[in-house]
Parts: sequence; structure tokens; C-alpha cells
Amino acid sequence: MTDLLVVTGLRAGYGRAVVLSDISFRLGAGEAMAVLGRNGVGKTTLVDSIVGVTRRFDGSLVLEGRELAPLAPEQRAALGLGWVPQERNIFRSLTVEENLTAVARPGPWTLDRLYGFFPRLKERRANSGGALSGGEQQMLAIARALATNPKLLLLDEPTEGLAPIIVEELLSALARLVRSEGLAALIVEQHAHKILPITRSTLILERGRIVHQGPSDELLAEPARLEKFLGVSAR
Amino acid sequence: MPSATLLGQALISGVLAGGMYGLLAMGLSLSWGLLRLVNLSHFALAFLSAYIVYELGTKYGVAPWWSAAMVVPLMFAVGASQYWLFDRFRVNELASLLITFSFAVIVEAGIQIYWTADYRRFETHYATESIKAGPFFIPVLDLTMCIVASVLAWGTWMWLRKTYVGKGLRAAAEDADIAAAYGVDHRKLAYILSGIGAAYAGIAGTFIALIATLAPAQIWAWLGVVFAVVIIGRLGNPMGALLAGMLIGASESLAMAVLSPAWAPVVSFSVLIVILLWDPEWL
Amino acid sequence: MNERANAWRRRGVLAGLAAGAASLAAPSILRAAPSGTPVRVGGTLSLTGFLAQTAAIHKIAAEIMVNEINGRNGFLGRPVEYVLLDDQSKPEVARSLYEKLITVDKVDLIQGPYATAPILAAMGVAQRYGKVMIQSSMGIPKLQTYDRAFPATPFGPEPDKTYPNVILDAMASLPHPPKSILVLTSKFPSAQFMAKGMREQAEKRGLKVALYLEYESGNRDFGAIAARVKEADADFLWVGSLGLESNQLLEALHKLDYKPRNHFHLYPAPGPLALSPDGDKALCSTFLEPAEPFLSRPGVKRIAAEFKERATKANLPYAVIDAQAAGMVSEWQILEAAVNGANSLDDKVIADWLKKHRVETIYGSLRFDGPYNHGDAAQLIKQAQNKEWKVVWPKAFAAPGVTLMGT
Ligand SMILES: Nc1ncnc2c1ncn2[C@@H]1O[C@H](COP(=O)(O)OP(=O)(O)OP(=O)(O)O)[C@@H](O)[C@H]1O
Ligand SMILES: [Mg+2]
Repeated sequence: MTDLLVVTGLRAGYGRAVVLSDISFRLGAGEAMAVLGRNGVGKTTLVDSIVGVTRRFDGSLVLEGRELAPLAPEQRAALGLGWVPQERNIFRSLTVEENLTAVARPGPWTLDRLYGFFPRLKERRANSGGALSGGEQQMLAIARALATNPKLLLLDEPTEGLAPIIVEELLSALARLVRSEGLAALIVEQHAHKILPITRSTLILERGRIVHQGPSDELLAEPARLEKFLGVSAR
Repeated sequence: MPSATLLGQALISGVLAGGMYGLLAMGLSLSWGLLRLVNLSHFALAFLSAYIVYELGTKYGVAPWWSAAMVVPLMFAVGASQYWLFDRFRVNELASLLITFSFAVIVEAGIQIYWTADYRRFETHYATESIKAGPFFIPVLDLTMCIVASVLAWGTWMWLRKTYVGKGLRAAAEDADIAAAYGVDHRKLAYILSGIGAAYAGIAGTFIALIATLAPAQIWAWLGVVFAVVIIGRLGNPMGALLAGMLIGASESLAMAVLSPAWAPVVSFSVLIVILLWDPEWL
Repeated sequence: MNERANAWRRRGVLAGLAAGAASLAAPSILRAAPSGTPVRVGGTLSLTGFLAQTAAIHKIAAEIMVNEINGRNGFLGRPVEYVLLDDQSKPEVARSLYEKLITVDKVDLIQGPYATAPILAAMGVAQRYGKVMIQSSMGIPKLQTYDRAFPATPFGPEPDKTYPNVILDAMASLPHPPKSILVLTSKFPSAQFMAKGMREQAEKRGLKVALYLEYESGNRDFGAIAARVKEADADFLWVGSLGLESNQLLEALHKLDYKPRNHFHLYPAPGPLALSPDGDKALCSTFLEPAEPFLSRPGVKRIAAEFKERATKANLPYAVIDAQAAGMVSEWQILEAAVNGANSLDDKVIADWLKKHRVETIYGSLRFDGPYNHGDAAQLIKQAQNKEWKVVWPKAFAAPGVTLMGT
């Protein structure tokens, strides 16, 4: 299996603070990987470091054989990174449709296809981003990342703060994306039991370091290990 | 009580005069709203353009539209170069005010050295031509200016809504870092927008040359009212700028016709305050 | 009316016989060049800002005069040096620059700035240090309360009363004298002051005041005002305008296809108004024009020629000496006469001398012993005829063949 993203010895943080140390992992083409860990362990920092909005102290990030480290965020985006930030950060003053078309790049994810995937967004296409509900905003954030036709989707806690019924809807959409569409994804999640079934591998962080790497189904089969890392039951 | 003819005439001339406020406000509103740069030199560029149109017209007999064809691209280049400076020195909103103010003062001084402080008037036969419509007179030049301003405002509005560049600019204005992470190269777009804003100063300047009498200090005569117009019209909204300009122009003119002309300067800021307090939904 | 006309005639004769003619007319080579340390005269002008267009004229006039004076005997045999600073058209800047001129630069004498507000600011400083200050452009004489401040322009002590009557006399002389008047004025203090006087005097003389309107100075759009002027349609339009406002108003009226029958403008930009097609037959007040009989006053021809040359070189579009430039000329003539007449650089001695003596100036013979140190009023009326200003009133001052034209 060819590697899509290879991270080696990454050390990164903000300003003078080092948050992540010694991060190394590989993500295969079409592979979905879960990133787990308690609050504040550096999950967002990892995603942001791939996008290019943190400070990198050391290490390398290679996407399809190209070193990302010296590139600015807009250049990295052009190479195929689709980011769904934890804060969603949709463009509130732009309409739903403009949010999608402002960043769109040619590829299989056309506007029609996105609307087919998220019918809610089609209904609200003319509304401004700021007028959407939390769930709709999250869908829009995902759709916007897809509109760039990325090779790798980076999702930072996509279900955070959403009503359970919306969470189900969203997770099923994600499952379709990674399983049927075969899109490579890095998915940060709090709910291990929900994300493990739809990812192939898992990465667990603790205080800025990787403490576990392995197939998701193994972890799912061993709730005790999960509990050890996350301090919660994997219910 | 003023007659209907007087009121109608006042309304016509007010709306048309407001077109100039709108035309001047547009470029300012775009760079303030979308680049977060308050470009005080916009007025100086408009007057510099007006002086160039005057010079070409009076010295070499160049028709104003040919002069405009030269001045507008020139101003585009000036605007784009200004952005290069802003970008180079990472100028923020407040600093941009100071820097562009200095720039305006320098342009004013330059104008004063070359054209002297004396009044300059580009006499053309268009200046006083009018169309008679019933009891009303519609000045041809002002009307042309308003039509041009409307076409520009509508065109810019569509451009911001329909094109990749326009949407990218609006996205970047809201959150430049996020937009960058989605591949929007904000700086490249900003050069274009800064150029367009200055090009609008060139267009406004052409009409100023034809409609007004020029003196270096006049650069500052429009500042207050145009700022009010920019804010009422909402930052970054060219249609809003034009409509707000016409609203202010019409209000000033009606106040002059019904109350006293001395009320005119109070009007723009009163309208501004009312609109800010009322904050109507349609804005 | 007769008495006034006589007064004018007397003044005309006086001007012709000007006693100080010798000093103004004598060729400079006959005198020894001044020598020794220069006498420094400090002053500000609004070289930048909204008054800059007139400052350019004043600067040239001042330079000509300093040259002239140095070509004669200077001040007390010493050369004169003009220390000129830019007050940016701002009274507060003028105030601190005069403070600086007097205390830091330690100039020997001062010369006033231009326009009422900077003059009032500078006058406060002058008073504090007891300096004589001569100024040429304060339109409200009663504000000149400092007893060592002297006017170089013959406004007279109460121009708001004398001035309207000169205009109304002129109007009354027309074949169809106006029966109604429209007074439109800027709220600029010196314009408003005159407008109020105009309304009062017109009413007193039985004219119907069809409309009295004030607009804020810096008014941008004259469309609505023009519509009101057109609707009121008075026989005589009196405009208390400054600078370009008259041109703007007339153009706005033209756009409404309206031509005022008789129109007077208070302080317009003379060049643009005369040159504008709409300015035809516009009336304006003046104290001097570059024509007879004024050119025959001693030295005026030479100064006018010099002014034209320098103004053309400085690229001024209207390179003809007029009442504006003459104000500055008069300021220097008064200072020269007073310093050399009093034989002193002491401000008190100079002020006392001025209160007791007449000075022959480009404006004619001036005295300073009336209220607010003013002497007689000497307003004249000029009219734009074929794009040139011609003095038309009083008749004694009109060039041969020139008459007041009405509608
Ligand atoms: N902009 C920043 N500047 C400095 N420190 C930061 C910044 N953002 C985060 N941190 C610090 O970095 C560490 C990791 O934060 P991060 O947001 O990556 O954690 P997380 O695992 O995503 O947490 P959560 O589950 O709450 O989202 C925390 O200690 C946090 O305080
Ligand atoms: Mg996080």
C-alpha cells in the first residue's frame, strides 16, 4: 500500500511552546485514521500542523512524496488537504453556496454532488453561513472541505456540540465518505466507540506524544486498553 | 411650504449629487471592507486624476473620455503598488489610516507645486447642459455620472458575488487565515482589489474634473460625508455605498429646500446616527 | 447720495495728488542701497490648506514690496528681510507661529496673516507683546479691538452699513432698478456680517427681501439652493459667497436654465468668476483694479507689471494684480511709511505715528484715526464684462466708456 502522508519526528507548537514531540506515523491512500486522546493532549495541534497554521520546530511532513514543511497553508491546500477545523470557521457573511464555490477546485466533488450528499445544505443554499444551526454549520464545514476536492480530509471533532440525532446523521455520512468513497481521512474524535468502527487505524495521543498506534478493530475488541489510554470506558 | 416643483427639483439634484458621494465611497468601502485598509488617499487619487484630466483637456485638447482611458489604468497601477507597500510593511487598519493620510498630504503638496493652489476649472459645454422633463431640469453630466456609478456598483456587486476572485476576497475579509487554509491566496486577490478601488478614484476624478472646480485643499472637502456614506452603505458593499450616497444626497438637498441650506452638513451625520441606532434589517 | 458721490470725487482727487508720491515713484538708483543688519519682519500666510490660493497672491505681492523697499532706503537705512512661515490656514498654527516669531526668532516687526480667523489669532499674540500689526483682510472691523492693529484696506469702521448702500446706489442708478432682493450667504462670519447688513439696508430703502438664506461654508451641492433662488426669482441676487461658491451657484442655476437678472458676489475667486460664461455681468466689490484711474497712482504701474511677471512665472492662472494683492502691497507701504516716518523700530512709536498721519498707499490716501483705527470706507463696485473686471461704480472711478450694465 502506498503512503499518502508520512509524518516523521514532528515537533510543533505555538510561539515558544512545544506541544507535540516526536510524532511519526504513516497514513495510506484511502485510509481513515482516528486520532484519540483526552482534552488538551494536542489533537488539534496535530491537525493544524498538517494544515500549516502552527509553528513547526522539527520533523517532516510528506504528502505524496512532497515535503509540506516549507509551504504556506494556501500552497498545502492546493496540494490536496481538506480541513474541517474544530471551530468550524465557516464564512458567516457568505451564503452556503458561496462558502462552497469560493474555495471549490475541479474534481469529483461538484456542487450538485455535494448537495446530493448533504440535502440540508441544498435547502439552505441561499442563506448566509451565520444563519445556520450548529449541525448545518458542521455539514457546511465538511462540504466546504470536500469542495476543494482534497486527497486527504482532516476532521477535527466533527460531532462536538451536536445533538445526538445529528451526530448519527453525520457519522453515517462520514462512514459513507471513507468506506464507499474511499477518501483518506484523519478524524479527531472524543467518542471512540463511534469512530473506531468507521476507521481502519487509530492513533492515541497523550501529552503531545503518540502512546498507541494500531488497527481500530483491535482496540474495539479490547475496551480495557482503551480505558487505560482515555480514562473513560469505550462504551 | 415649498412648491412641488421645488421639492422635485431638489430631489433630482440631491440624488444626482449623491451619486458622486456614492462613486467616491465605493472604492473606499471596498478596500476598507475587504482589505481592512482605510485608504484616505482615495480622495487624493481622485483629485490627482481630476487634475490630469484637466491638464490633458486644457493643454492638449484631449476629450475627457480619452483622458479617463489613460487615467483609470494609471490609477489601477497606483492602487496595486500601494497594496505592495501595505503588504510589505504588514500595515493594519489603524496604521493604514496614518500612512494613507500622509500619502494624501504628499499628493496634495505635489498638486499644489505643479498646478499651484489656485482654482482650476475645466470649462466644457457639458458642464451646464440639462434635459428638460416637464417642470424639471436634469443636468446631463450629473446624470451620466450617476449612470456610470450605478453600472459600476452593480457590476462590482455581481463581481464580488459571482466570481472566484470576488468570493475569495469576501471570505478572506472575514477570516484571512482560514481562507488561506482553503487555498485562497488573499494577497494576490488584494492586489486586484486595491487596483480596482484606485481605478474607481480615477473614474470619480474624471467626473470631478468636469463637474467641479479644482483646488488642492478640495481633496478634503468630501471626506466627512463620504465616510458617513461608506458606513451607512456597509463596508465592502458597492451597491450599499451608491444607495447610501443617493440617500444622503437627497436628504441634504431636501433639507436645503424645505428647511435652510445651512442644515445640509448636519443631515449626513444625522442620517448616519439614525441608521446606526435603528439598524434596519434591510441594511 | 450726492454727498457720497462728492466724497468719492474728493478722494479721487486726493489720490491723484498723493503726497507720498515721491517715495513711490522715485527710481531706486537715485538712493543709496540700505546697509547694515537687516530689519526682520515676521509673518505667516496660509501657504497650504484651504486659503492657499490667496496666499500665493499675497506672497508674490510681499516679495515685490520687500524688493521695492530695499531698492529704496529699506527701513531706517537698513535692508528689510521678510521671515515668512506657513500657518496652514489654521488659526491655532498662526497663533503659535507668531509666538515663535516674536520670542524665538526675535523679529523686529510683524506683518499680519490673511483672513479673519488667523488675524484674530495673531492679534492676540501681537497684543501680548505690544507689537504693531497691520492686516488687510479682516472683514469685520469692530473685531479689531487691539489699539496697535491697523487695517491696510479701506473697509471703513462700519462696512455692514456703508457697503450695502454703495451697492444699492449702483442698483438704483439702473434704468430698471430692482424692486426685490434675494440675500443668500455663507455662514462664514465675515460674509454673514455683510449679508445681515445688506438685508437691513435693503429693507430700509424699500426693497422687498424675497428670501434670506444661509448655507454652511464648504457647502458642496448648490442644486437645491439654485432651485430656491429660481423659484423666488428676485430682481437682484446678492450672494455672500467665498471662493468658488459663486461659480458653483451660477452653474447650478444654469443647469436649471435660470439666469439671475442682477447678481452681486461678496468674496468670490475673481479669476474663475470673470472667466466663467455664467459670470457675465456679475458684480463684486473691490478697492482697486489694474486699470485707470488706479494705474496712475504712484508706483502702481510698476508694481502691476512686476506682479504680472511673477504671477505668470509662478503659474497662477489669473496673473493680474487685484484688490487681494493690493492689500499686501498696502500693508508694506504702511509699515514702510510708519517706520521711516516715526524714525523708529519701537512698536509704540510706530503706532502713535500711524494714528496721527495719513499714508499714501496703492488704495489711495489712508488714515487710521477713526473707530477701530479705521479711516474712510472706499468700496468700489466692479462688474465682469467680456471676462474682465471693470470698475463701474462710483462713476468717478469707472474708466472712460465703461458703465454699469443691468438687465
Ligand atoms: N494558540 C495556542 N497558543 C498556545 N498554546 C496553545 C494554543 N492552542 C492550544 N494550545 C495549547 O496546546 C495544548 C494542546 O492543545 P490542543 O488544542 O491541540 O488540544 P486538543 O487535544 O485538541 O484538545 P481538545 O480535545 O480540548 O480540543 C494545550 O495545552 C493548549 O493549551
Ligand atoms: Mg482540539
